Amino acid sequence: MILGLLFFLFIFLIPIAGECLSLYQQGEQALAMGNLAKAKHIFYKIPPFVNKQKNPDFLKARLLLARLYYNQKKYNLAQKECLTILKYFPNHKETKSLLHEIQNLNQPVIIQFFKDTYKYLPALLKGTLMTLILVLFTMLVSPFGGLLIALGRISRFYPLSSLCWCIIWLFRGTPLLLQLFFIYYGLPALGITLKPLTAAFLGLGLNYSAYLAEIIRAGIQSIDAGQMEAALALGMTYSQAMRRIIIPQTYKRIIPPIANEFIALIKDTALVSTIAMVELMRSADQLFNTYFDVKILILAGLIYLILTSIFTLIFEKVERKVGAYEQK
Amino acid sequence: MNKNNSPLLELKNIHKKFGKVIAIKNVNLKLYSGEKLCIIGPSGSGKSTLLRTINFLETIDQGQIFFQGKEVGYVYKKGKRILDKAKNISTLRAEIGMVFQHFHLFPHMTVLENVMEGPRTVQKKSKDEAKQIALDMLSKVGLLNKKDVYPVCLSGGQKQRVAIARALAMKPKLMLFDEPTSALDPELVGEVFEAIKKLAEEGMTMIIVTHQMGFAKEMADRVIFMENGEIIAQAQSKEFFSSSNMPKRIQSFLNKILE
Ligand SMILES: Nc1ncnc2c1ncn2[C@@H]1O[C@H](COP(=O)(O)OP(=O)(O)O)[C@@H](O)[C@H]1O
Ligand SMILES: [Mg+2]
Repeated sequence: MILGLLFFLFIFLIPIAGECLSLYQQGEQALAMGNLAKAKHIFYKIPPFVNKQKNPDFLKARLLLARLYYNQKKYNLAQKECLTILKYFPNHKETKSLLHEIQNLNQPVIIQFFKDTYKYLPALLKGTLMTLILVLFTMLVSPFGGLLIALGRISRFYPLSSLCWCIIWLFRGTPLLLQLFFIYYGLPALGITLKPLTAAFLGLGLNYSAYLAEIIRAGIQSIDAGQMEAALALGMTYSQAMRRIIIPQTYKRIIPPIANEFIALIKDTALVSTIAMVELMRSADQLFNTYFDVKILILAGLIYLILTSIFTLIFEKVERKVGAYEQK
Repeated sequence: MNKNNSPLLELKNIHKKFGKVIAIKNVNLKLYSGEKLCIIGPSGSGKSTLLRTINFLETIDQGQIFFQGKEVGYVYKKGKRILDKAKNISTLRAEIGMVFQHFHLFPHMTVLENVMEGPRTVQKKSKDEAKQIALDMLSKVGLLNKKDVYPVCLSGGQKQRVAIARALAMKPKLMLFDEPTSALDPELVGEVFEAIKKLAEEGMTMIIVTHQMGFAKEMADRVIFMENGEIIAQAQSKEFFSSSNMPKRIQSFLNKILE
């Protein structure tokens, strides 16, 4: 009985639902079922003006058709659609660039490659800038964070050293992605809502401080105990001895592993794309979802390679400099 | 030596244990200004530990240390003995120079910077003043020409002379030498002894742990023989090395060393 009623309702509702859909949505439905001819038929019924106003559905429908034709390599049809759109929407950027692309098809591949690169680069470079900001921030902050945690870790004050041990244990023992999720999506449940950038700074800063802390601690403990004794015997305080004698001697030993971490950092910043940060990875992702062009991914990869290479070179220079006193 | 004055350094009844190992047992010692004291004794007898308790690189379990007539290192609160503030202990250390067996020069600083470091960082002297002091000290140990090199470029003997200059730059009232020549090749021992002797002639008060009996004989006003953390003999240098009724144990030690 109830089933019968439901069936009746169902039959009855389908045409109503159909009528509620706009022409554009109906066309999309037809496309989803793979019926291009029907979709085109429906799309062509959409008028360019409604109540003397430009109709955005007209634009959307024709642009979709143009893209489809383009992907099917029916360039003449695609061009026709673009020109139609531009008749009513003469300033529409995406249409213009699509038309441009079609008209450029006859050009040599290499020129086309450069043109595409030129098209994608501004967005990618903007993302790169954000990636650089994240990298530089973490590179500046984490050595100090790491030093503080390392000093706490080797402190003889038990509560402090166990606290620092816990911080290291926690941030090195869980995925950075999880930490970022927790800070951005989890903390609001505890009443703390952070902006994406703040969350990214916090996550990267804490994670990398914890990693560097272990490197710095190992560096400090690798210095001959006689150095601390000689400094104390001169009358230095513990902090003077650390600052003037012990820590400067660790540079040579800790810079190579820290450089390693920093190279990993450049790539790890891609993880913050998951917490609504638009950096290089996210920019590439967005572009790719619009153009489905593999060149975008290659370009993003090249930019990452350039960044890691530059930083590798810088670190090698620094390494050579700080170890200089060991050479006769 | 005017023994009517109060001693520069006095150790009263010092005890020190490392876990169950007794390193220092019931040590009493008075050292007067200008005096040169040599400590000899077999390895592990507590010589280094004793030296290190004087500037509190080691804490003591029992006893009292007086420097310039004042008890140092510990304060008493409600009858309880507690370690003095780190700052006061640093101040004490600044007045006592120490030279280690393995030099412990700061490898990331040039020779000049090594010697300037104390006056600069501890005494907060101006750069020019610290540099002047450092140059004076380096010329005293005959290493002015090495002032701009890093320690890695020096021979063992030169390193130890820089270490002496570094300690002297603090204008200490007392110098402690812990086997200053034991890590050196024999042909480099002489130059370090010369530097220490020069210092002695200028009237520096010093305690030297050494296995070089010739040096002890020549330098020391007084000699202490330690074994198992205890002072088992002490005498004026001349008596010590000539006495016919020297305990057997010391004699056999000296014979072994002099071989
Ligand atoms: N930091 C330490 N921890 C444990 N035992 C120590 C320490 N320093 C010295 N000792 C022990 O104390 C005793 C005295 O050592 P030390 O003063 O170095 O002797 P010496 O300098 O006469 O060779 C030795 O048995 C040594 O093993
Ligand atoms: Mg010793």
